[in-house]
Amino acid sequence: MSAAGVQPRDWTCPFCSLLCDGLALAPGPVLQLRGGDCARARAGLAAFDHPAAAVSCVDGVPRGLDAALDAAAARLGVAHLPLFGGLATDVQGMRALYRLANVRGAILDHAHGEAMMPALRMLQDRGQMFTTLAEIRNRADLIVCIGTDARSSHPEFFRRCAPAAGREAGGRVVFLGAGGGTPGAAEIPWASTVDALCAEGDIFDTVATLAALVDSRRLAAVPAALAELADAMRAARYCVLVWEPARLAQHGALVGEALLRLLMNLNRKTRAGAFTLGGNDGAQTANAAMSWLSGLPLRSRVGQQGVDHDPLQYATARLLDERAVDLLLWVASFTPDLPPPPAALPRIVLGHPALAAGCAQPGTVFIPVATPGINADGHLLRADSVVSLPLHGVRDDGLATVAEVAQALVARLASGAAAKEGAR
Amino acid sequence: MTTIRLKGGRVYDPANGVDGEVRDIGIRDGRIVALHAQDKVDAEYDLTGCVVMAGGIDLHTHIGGGKVNLARMMLPEDHRLNRPRDSLLELASNGCCTPGTLETGYRYAQMGYTAAFEPAMLASNARQAHMEMGDTPILDHGAYVMLGNEELFLEMLARGEDPQRIRDYVGWAIGASKAMGVKVVNPGGISAFKFNQRKLDVDEDHVHWQVTPRQVVHSLARALSELGVPHPLHIHASNLGVAGNIESTLATIDALEGLPGHLTHIQFHSYGREGPKKFSSAARQLVERVNAAPNVSIDVGQIIFGQTVTASGDTMRQFANAELGNPRKYVGGDIECDAGCGVVPFRYREQSYVNALQWAIGLEIFLLMDDPWRVVLTTDHPNGGPFTSYPHLIKLLMDKRFRDEQLARLHPDVAAMADLREIRRELSLYEIAIMTRAAPARLLGLTDRGQLGIGAAADIAVYREEADREAMFATPEYVFKDGLLVARKGRIEAVPVGGTHFVEADYDPAIEKTVEAWADRHASISYRHMKIGTDELCSCSNGGALLACKVHGRGRPL
Repeated sequence: MSAAGVQPRDWTCPFCSLLCDGLALAPGPVLQLRGGDCARARAGLAAFDHPAAAVSCVDGVPRGLDAALDAAAARLGVAHLPLFGGLATDVQGMRALYRLANVRGAILDHAHGEAMMPALRMLQDRGQMFTTLAEIRNRADLIVCIGTDARSSHPEFFRRCAPAAGREAGGRVVFLGAGGGTPGAAEIPWASTVDALCAEGDIFDTVATLAALVDSRRLAAVPAALAELADAMRAARYCVLVWEPARLAQHGALVGEALLRLLMNLNRKTRAGAFTLGGNDGAQTANAAMSWLSGLPLRSRVGQQGVDHDPLQYATARLLDERAVDLLLWVASFTPDLPPPPAALPRIVLGHPALAAGCAQPGTVFIPVATPGINADGHLLRADSVVSLPLHGVRDDGLATVAEVAQALVARLASGAAAKEGAR
Repeated sequence: MTTIRLKGGRVYDPANGVDGEVRDIGIRDGRIVALHAQDKVDAEYDLTGCVVMAGGIDLHTHIGGGKVNLARMMLPEDHRLNRPRDSLLELASNGCCTPGTLETGYRYAQMGYTAAFEPAMLASNARQAHMEMGDTPILDHGAYVMLGNEELFLEMLARGEDPQRIRDYVGWAIGASKAMGVKVVNPGGISAFKFNQRKLDVDEDHVHWQVTPRQVVHSLARALSELGVPHPLHIHASNLGVAGNIESTLATIDALEGLPGHLTHIQFHSYGREGPKKFSSAARQLVERVNAAPNVSIDVGQIIFGQTVTASGDTMRQFANAELGNPRKYVGGDIECDAGCGVVPFRYREQSYVNALQWAIGLEIFLLMDDPWRVVLTTDHPNGGPFTSYPHLIKLLMDKRFRDEQLARLHPDVAAMADLREIRRELSLYEIAIMTRAAPARLLGLTDRGQLGIGAAADIAVYREEADREAMFATPEYVFKDGLLVARKGRIEAVPVGGTHFVEADYDPAIEKTVEAWADRHASISYRHMKIGTDELCSCSNGGALLACKVHGRGRPL
């Protein structure tokens, strides 16, 4: 619960996986962003305006933190197979949640688990070729955004791609099959040109065609715009493909695999890499921490029997639909935009204080938690899964961190104190 | 205050010249002390029939950081088997080639190892590396920061920056990433690959910066020497895995010009171009040169047959080998104008001529080296094979008959022709103790580890003497970490958080202006976040002890 005021230009924004830093935040009851104007950051910060005293709640009744922890431990103590969902937390939170999951066994999945799976399946089936933001700034002469405008989920993406000082000219940006409303030249001022190309059929067909053209395969009918793009990709010194698995329909992993094949081909003669947009709300962090601790990524079950990974079976929606789990522990420490899914089973919510109102019903224990980067320090991993950054708390709202709550639950379960309420 | 007596074990402590003497060892509060026969103790262990060594130290093992984690994620098939837990202290964690960090700590400790060093920490990924190592229980750990491919360094070298400024930059980089040393991987080659260069020999220019690997190696080695960093420059030389690469390996040794250098996974760099397959052992050439160069130490990177995964910063070479992937998967990344990463799953096969020869070359190097203090036992985990194969490797080195049996199973040309057949040497327990604890400790500057003298840390492995060295080294009778019993006959007894070894070097802080100016122009994060502070290290490394090694330069006023 460290929340010393940060120095100017030291704030790291936790509200998307680009983790913009070098920003400043004016502390106080209303947190104002300085040095940037990101809609997502502003919305995230607005949820912390004028904090009221946040209280825990058991079955809709306000309770002290200790009582709420007792109740939560009791319910965990009698659960046969809990699901730890949401997982919008930082590294320390995941470390402690992993220990808690081991106490009685649990399945772990992130709120964005469904969106993460195409990239994970691609990695598991074929691999990946990636690049990172500094490489893009310093090298990219062609950026192709496939099926995404990039900025809806990551408003600062194109600012972060701006060419490094001293580079002669900015590269070209192409949107392919990204729908309407993609940014124009005025919105990417550093780009030499900005083009928006329509998809040729659906996104699967479009990527397949593009890959074939990059590979110089003969096609019956060659769409001129795609042929030109393929030539440009082959001619580029460093081409970056941007994709966003969350935007893809079912079987999006196939798009990822096609893009990987395309990249492997491109890299035989020139250089290129992919940038995957995703991992917001701590998803990248939760998946990485889970992987290093257990050896396997999210959508795994842990316990005395070891680790069992099943990206299809261990999906939050499916587990809840099939009533395959008997308790949901939901973690959402960054924004109020990740409420726990409604479920007819006991719920324990470690959440942003603004989630309290929606968690005041029987069967639910709500414990408000601190937000890394607002009222707690912490660490998150960036979208590229390479860079991790420290988050600095700017305010002390007297809230426990997810790690502290999870540790308290481990201690209660270990001491058996939970058994008392569990008997009722 | 806990006092323990280890009674009557046969002690191998090469750092103190003890070669198999039966003697008692006293432990008080985590340190080795002299105990008199009448001193009261809290616990006494009868070690009759046991061999006592300091805890093992692995100075080159990929245990933490982005590429290892990508390897974990990409290989769920490596993690399907769950080893039964026999201790409630163990949390769920699994995997063989790239185990989870928890499993890594448990398995190393069960094997009698008490420290492990991650050799390829990217500055841009240093926090994560420290986090993963912090989540590797029991073991002390540390990492070498990868330099020599980051654009700032190459730019400084290209513009002929004063060596003192390079030294200050290296000192800054070590401090910023909280590293224990510096590793260079394919010197300049990772960067060159980003500029679409596919090959870089020791005296070939980087296509953009017009500097050579020779310059990179020499300037880094000089900087470390002047800073007084104990561990010599850790060198993954040019042309890894390429037939005939012995030439670039010898040229890399030349580039040191007598400065200290540690050539890592040297097996992968000791290939000739002889014979019908144009691929041959250059172990004798290599060893002859290393034997004559007291400034050079090596670790072997022995290959072990079976499934593993290669995870390397050497994108240039990994991409070239992507098609050899088994299973056929590839991860490659260009990272932050800093470094790169390439991951290729690999299966070493006994019936492959190349793999069989690689296996023989590694063993030849171990067995031909005169001076065991300059050769460290590694498999370059997981690149040559998982660290759990160390007991098997020890048996290969100690047992000529066993070695011959293994050799006979290999590709017939190798079985019939390898130099290895003629090498009769069997390493002694004393030599094994050097290669697995005393030498790595000395090469890392760990004065109170890797030895059992009075005042040393009580990191101790006790093995039940057995003729089958593999069985003996696989499951020590007792393992102590800082005097705490952490494993007994393979069962985990305690799970302390390990400490982080890192170097604090003196350098002229004026260099920070140069780094900050570069960061403002080129980086993707704020300059302030390029540095990990001590408090932050503590949080990243999970609250383990911070084992700072302060160095104050060598031969220069400050």
